[in-house]
Amino acid sequence: MSDFAIDIRNVVKRYEEHVAVRDLSLQVPRGSVYGLLGPNGAGKTTTIRMILDIIAPDAGTISLFGQPHTTVGVLDRVGYLPEERGLYKKMQVRRVLLFLAELKGMKPAVAGPRIDEWLERFGLVTPEKNWGEARVDELSRGMQQKVQFIATLLHDPELVILDEPFSGLDPINAQALKDAVLELKRLGKTVIFSTHVMDNAERMCDSVCIIARGEKVLDGAISDVRRQSGTRNVALALAGGAHNGVGGVLRDPTLVRKMDDNNNYFELELAPAADPQVLLRRLIEAGANVERFELVQPSLHQIFLQRVGAAGVEEGLTGHG
Amino acid sequence: MDNKLMAVAKREYMERVRSRWFILGTLAVPALAVAALAIPMYMASRGASSSLRHITVIDATGTGMGERVAKALMADSSLGSAKTDSIATRVINVDAAQLPVQEHAATAEVELPKHIVGYLVLTDSTLAGKSARYAGRNASSIADMEKLESVVRQASMIVRLERQGVRSDLVNDLASSHLKVNSERLSERGRAGSGEAGLIAGIAVGLLLFMSIIIHGNNVLRGVLEEKSTRVAEVVLSSVKPETLLAGKVLGVGAVGLTQQIAWLGIGAYLMGFVAPIMMKNAGGGAGAAASSGTMSGMFASLSPEVLMVALVYFVIGFVFYATLYAAAGSMVNSEQEAQQAAVPVMILLMSTWLMVNPVMINPNSTLAVVLSWLPWSSPIIMPMRMGLTAVSPMAIAGSIVVAILGCIVAIWLSARIYRVGMLMYGKKPSLAEVAKWIRYA
Repeated sequence: MSDFAIDIRNVVKRYEEHVAVRDLSLQVPRGSVYGLLGPNGAGKTTTIRMILDIIAPDAGTISLFGQPHTTVGVLDRVGYLPEERGLYKKMQVRRVLLFLAELKGMKPAVAGPRIDEWLERFGLVTPEKNWGEARVDELSRGMQQKVQFIATLLHDPELVILDEPFSGLDPINAQALKDAVLELKRLGKTVIFSTHVMDNAERMCDSVCIIARGEKVLDGAISDVRRQSGTRNVALALAGGAHNGVGGVLRDPTLVRKMDDNNNYFELELAPAADPQVLLRRLIEAGANVERFELVQPSLHQIFLQRVGAAGVEEGLTGHG
Repeated sequence: MDNKLMAVAKREYMERVRSRWFILGTLAVPALAVAALAIPMYMASRGASSSLRHITVIDATGTGMGERVAKALMADSSLGSAKTDSIATRVINVDAAQLPVQEHAATAEVELPKHIVGYLVLTDSTLAGKSARYAGRNASSIADMEKLESVVRQASMIVRLERQGVRSDLVNDLASSHLKVNSERLSERGRAGSGEAGLIAGIAVGLLLFMSIIIHGNNVLRGVLEEKSTRVAEVVLSSVKPETLLAGKVLGVGAVGLTQQIAWLGIGAYLMGFVAPIMMKNAGGGAGAAASSGTMSGMFASLSPEVLMVALVYFVIGFVFYATLYAAAGSMVNSEQEAQQAAVPVMILLMSTWLMVNPVMINPNSTLAVVLSWLPWSSPIIMPMRMGLTAVSPMAIAGSIVVAILGCIVAIWLSARIYRVGMLMYGKKPSLAEVAKWIRYA
């Protein structure tokens, strides 16, 4: 039994005009919440579709739970909520859910009671109205999103894949979704979701993978990513600003790679081989009046901007992720 | 896998059969078809053309030919009973010199809102078997003019025979003879019912398939388009292979079509049970009724179990062939309008076949007919029709079915590849070159 819910090795997907995914490898540990991060057009949706065998990679292998993802029945253990969501408009809600459950290999007799359970849990069955009996196009957008979410989880999947799940959600539903994801993790499920909103990822994910232009930029556990991101930043506050000797120290390229000068407050990126202790000593020797000297870890947002940059967003790519 | 295929087919079937349109169409079409068949017959028998009697015959031949024409019109049972008719055909015998004056008077009479609908002029030219003239309000009625023509032709023949000195009883006998040719088809297997009946059965099978493909092929197209435009396709495709979804759709919609046709045939036969006796009673006397009931029973006799089986096989193959192509067309586009354009090549295949039905009917053994019964896109319509019209060897039928199945496999293969790529492709309508690329990619 593999420790990875998803194991992608050297996957490539080419289209006529561009390469959507090039030589991508990533591993999603079982029971973790995993974030697939990247700007629009980075290849997130293409990657997700390949995991689900909706499109075939040109090269590379994809395994789910240690088996090739094309193995019969493996995809029945996966729940998927695509970015572009829709349901059969003219169909009764219960029948849509029953149909989608059957496609995941569930027997109607098993699926039926569970649909009722979920509808009740999401408030779609009230004393006044049973929305399960209504047609999909009678439901409000919010209700339809709930039905789609039910369809994703109805068959009790071990792996849940959500593509840009926060897009189009109001703050209340976004919070409900975060709670639902953490609930799934508590139940031992694996959740992978794509997003370009770093805040969500930082708060929820155990591990992340950042991709841009179809390539992996970095991946790993959030704490490792921060450490590995290589940058050690120093938040420095000087009373009276940087006078002569101090300025010379800050401009020494063997110590400081980049400096964000705000007169009294400085954000420094240390040079690769520099020791922060040496920097502090040199500053004091130069007569600096240090009010604050703190080693800080960059936020995911900063790492993202730093590693991907503006160039990571390819222009003219309107496709999905 | 198979359960998923069944789930897709079941959804397609149940959602369609439940719809109001299906129920309406299933009930209304046979009712309309029977009405369309019965009403003209009823109208025809009800003497819609009995006004043909209400004319003035201006006879300038001086042979009593006008009297003969009038007598024949009054005696014609297809114009209704003469006893109930209040107005008899009027004959005016004139000299050739008086003709213009009489014609002028007759014209004025017709123009008045009276019972007289027109006048017929018989001259020496009529007697010579060349021409007669008719002017009247019903001059554009094809049935009336045909009837009048045949009456005048017969009268002129009889007058000429009398002038040649043929005995009058023989002439009368000739005048009252109505010859009818009863055709019967012979094949290696012996008598196979009347030729006419085989033709009707053949056309019926071809027409049924043609209609099913148009109606339900478009349903497949619209169903694919709905899944694509509502974006439900992506969730579905994360659970089933595109090939399974495509196959389930075609199967489900095909089953709807078959259900509808069985219902149509059943309801149609039931309604015919009421309408047929009325139609026969009005079909112009005993001989006509006997002939038409013979045709009816002959028609069902000519639909032997083998022919029905073969027709059913062609039906399934033909439907699958066209429905998968319609599905591919639906997966390429994003809107109903674009879908109609994308379906044009499929329509061309289908319509070109339908246009060939008439030539094949006229000569079912021509090279054209033989070629068309081998091509996979035309054989399902043409072959059952030819089988109704002529003897086709079992080997040829088997061979043509094999070719049609091969054609089907190619169509499914092509469609599945287009479908696989097309279902997730949004944006502008692809060009032919792009579709060709999809086929290579998928």
